Amino acid sequence: MVTLADYGLGNIQAFAHIYDRLNIPVEVATTPGQIAKAERIILPGVGAFDWAMRRLNASGLREALDERVLKGGVPVLGVCVGMQMMARGSDEGALPGLGWIDAEVRKFDASVIGDSPLPHMGWNDVHPASSGTLFRGIEAPRYYFLHTYYFAPDSSADVLATANYGSDFAAAVARDNVFGTQFHPEKSHQWGIDLLRNFAEL
Amino acid sequence: MTKHVYPERRPYQICTKLVMDTSDPGITFDADGVCHHYHDFHQNVKPHWHVGPEGRQRLEAMVDLIKKDGKGRDFDCLMGLSGGADSSFMLHMMVKEFGLRPLVFHVDGGWNSELAVSNIQVLIDKLGLDLFTEVINWEEMRDFQLAMFKSGVPHIDIPQDHAFIAVLYEFAKKYKVKYILNGGNISTECVRRPLDIIYWGTDMRQINDILGRFGTVPMKTYPFSSIFYHKLYLRYFGGVKVFKPLNYMNYVQSEAKDTLEREYGWKPYPQKHFESRFTRFFEGYWLPTRFGYDMRRVEFSSMILTGQMTRDEALARLEQPAYDPELIRQDFDYIAAKIGITSDQLREYHEMPLKFWWDYKNIRNVFEAGEWVLSRIAGTRRGGAF
Amino acid sequence: MLRPRIIPCLLIHNGGLVKTVQFGDPKYVGDPLNAVRIFNEKEVDELMVVDIDASRHGRSPNEQLIAQMAAECRMPLCYGGGIKSVEQVERLIGLGVEKVAMSSAAVADSGLLGRCAERVGRQSVVVVIDVKTSGLLRKPEVVTLNGTNRTGLDPVKFAQSVQEAGAGEIVLNSVDRDGKMAGYDLELIERVKKVVHVPLTVLGGAGSFDDIRALAQRYPVIGAAAGSLFVFKGKYRAVLINYPPRSERDVLARPSARPAA
Repeated sequence: MVTLADYGLGNIQAFAHIYDRLNIPVEVATTPGQIAKAERIILPGVGAFDWAMRRLNASGLREALDERVLKGGVPVLGVCVGMQMMARGSDEGALPGLGWIDAEVRKFDASVIGDSPLPHMGWNDVHPASSGTLFRGIEAPRYYFLHTYYFAPDSSADVLATANYGSDFAAAVARDNVFGTQFHPEKSHQWGIDLLRNFAEL
Repeated sequence: MTKHVYPERRPYQICTKLVMDTSDPGITFDADGVCHHYHDFHQNVKPHWHVGPEGRQRLEAMVDLIKKDGKGRDFDCLMGLSGGADSSFMLHMMVKEFGLRPLVFHVDGGWNSELAVSNIQVLIDKLGLDLFTEVINWEEMRDFQLAMFKSGVPHIDIPQDHAFIAVLYEFAKKYKVKYILNGGNISTECVRRPLDIIYWGTDMRQINDILGRFGTVPMKTYPFSSIFYHKLYLRYFGGVKVFKPLNYMNYVQSEAKDTLEREYGWKPYPQKHFESRFTRFFEGYWLPTRFGYDMRRVEFSSMILTGQMTRDEALARLEQPAYDPELIRQDFDYIAAKIGITSDQLREYHEMPLKFWWDYKNIRNVFEAGEWVLSRIAGTRRGGAF
Repeated sequence: MLRPRIIPCLLIHNGGLVKTVQFGDPKYVGDPLNAVRIFNEKEVDELMVVDIDASRHGRSPNEQLIAQMAAECRMPLCYGGGIKSVEQVERLIGLGVEKVAMSSAAVADSGLLGRCAERVGRQSVVVVIDVKTSGLLRKPEVVTLNGTNRTGLDPVKFAQSVQEAGAGEIVLNSVDRDGKMAGYDLELIERVKKVVHVPLTVLGGAGSFDDIRALAQRYPVIGAAAGSLFVFKGKYRAVLINYPPRSERDVLARPSARPAA
């Protein structure tokens, strides 16, 4: 059973549809009780960092998530801003993040990307560091990115996959049971569907 | 007026040579358990079915007539392309091998699968043809289809079929094309489908009655046809002829699909009628589960008669559902949403008491008389696309 | 490597899909939901759907239809038409739309863009700039409400101002070239691209894949949108949804496709 954390932001429907089609049980969690029983969790997110953190904190799910993820050790997948929230904090906002992974979220630097536009928008190739877990069995992965800030983990060991925009950055991260993708697997056709299936089968 | 009863109460029986069974209303069996379709084929169809050199001769003669008639005009014949194997192969043969210049059209009823669209494109591109399309107004089509569901009759595929026929004859009239090519074929369609299930799509009395009772959207642009105008006037006074080229060659569907794949990159459909999401749902789920009628029996029996399938193969395939149950579930919800109702409402229509053509106004007698007359003077039979 | 985005653009008029020529003469092309579904199966990069009646007639977006379309898309969906408030934008994002496009609202109230960006993030705020060349001096001008309202604004200056105000993407649409399939307005694109540092998507005039290829060769990071090209086929304008296969699209991303530095 995949539990989608619904704190008011993020494309819950898209994830639900995909798991429905894959015949993998999926539920939408709006209460701490549901989070507390979750076997694996997806934390979606769109929008600005502070706005997302504020919504998450106000949703009542924050404490249950911390508990289930950090103590319970269940797999969690943060998507886009959902992943960014797992850092200590972001250049984009003032609020602290969840701190599940030692990392900062930074803005793409003009000196690195040159006159490439921001936000980073479109389909980009993703290079997994290893062929297991999320990217198992996925050939020549590419995904849809839509973001202006990127996730910078303190330790490169936490980088599960990179993509290039001016220079390499973390497209996906993993530390123990905590996973994150900067890109949108729910909107990346078959590559995304395969990744989401892999997450459900971890 | 005979009281129609469906389904007739009789013990289950299946033909010993084909796979037609008592789900086919009107089926009769001889003392050996062989059904009338078998005899009908051998007595009435096979003797007039010419493949081989004689078929080739007739085909070439027809082609000559068509070419002569088309001299100096943009098109010499007319055909509809659904993206399905039969019409695709026919297009390939008639253009590549016989050099005809067809006006090719496609009727978009809002249910095209991506594969159909893609298959049409590869054919058109590789053959260098220009395509016409007729896009049926979706709001009207949707309401028409919903009205059919509400009426409870089996033939809910009529809105798509009727539009095709009407558009076909409109093109014939507009572009003054006398020869219509039809991909209907004895090879896979010689066993006739029962009228009680697949009723005439051009009985306007019936259509108007159903629309009058259950329709809500005014049919402003939907192409209605009249069987009188089409079959009678255009065919017998306007000189329009329908020609089924696949009946004059040794048409083996599996080989045809291989050829199409090889030459055009045409991709086969997972099952028959997968060009249209609605049709596959209709034939693969709605008819079998609501009316107990599985159209595959007709298709497989035809193929048994024409040597493309053995009875054992047919029986084995009939054991499996017509298509993947998971896909059926998704299609059920998709169709409900697209028609504009909830899945629960669609379930209600699925469960409602069965209704048939005789429950609504109709001119069935006129059709029956017409069919009789035409079979005597023109040797035609109801079957194929129309 | 970030690829050029190739984007079918669908117009909704009276609930049905239409294609226009210079914003007029709408030709019915069918059911929006089936079209979206087919594009999804063709695995298009992303999709843009615009309701061309909504703003003009003061109507709000058809949320039921939008939700249904979003459910069919396994790629990003951008919706435009009738958007006037932050709440609407938030609701649409919640329905599963990735990006929300505004045109007349951006002209009327540029503060709206910033407020939307604060909630849903800049990357989801798109401004569509419809440009028509008018007057004796043939000056390009921003128009709104399906081309019926002339604003007197210069497209390049307007692009700069919406960018500053919070737009995360700009869609530059040539009214004059709409439906003509005679090529993009490359001169206008060049002038706007110079001043814009958010992603730019161009629309209006694409007649063949060559037009898209030429655009991608000139601008490695760009969105190439098209309506007629992906919906019509052949000289009789048959309605047949088509889209370049992945093999053709991938060629655009190769380094050799880029101009020399």
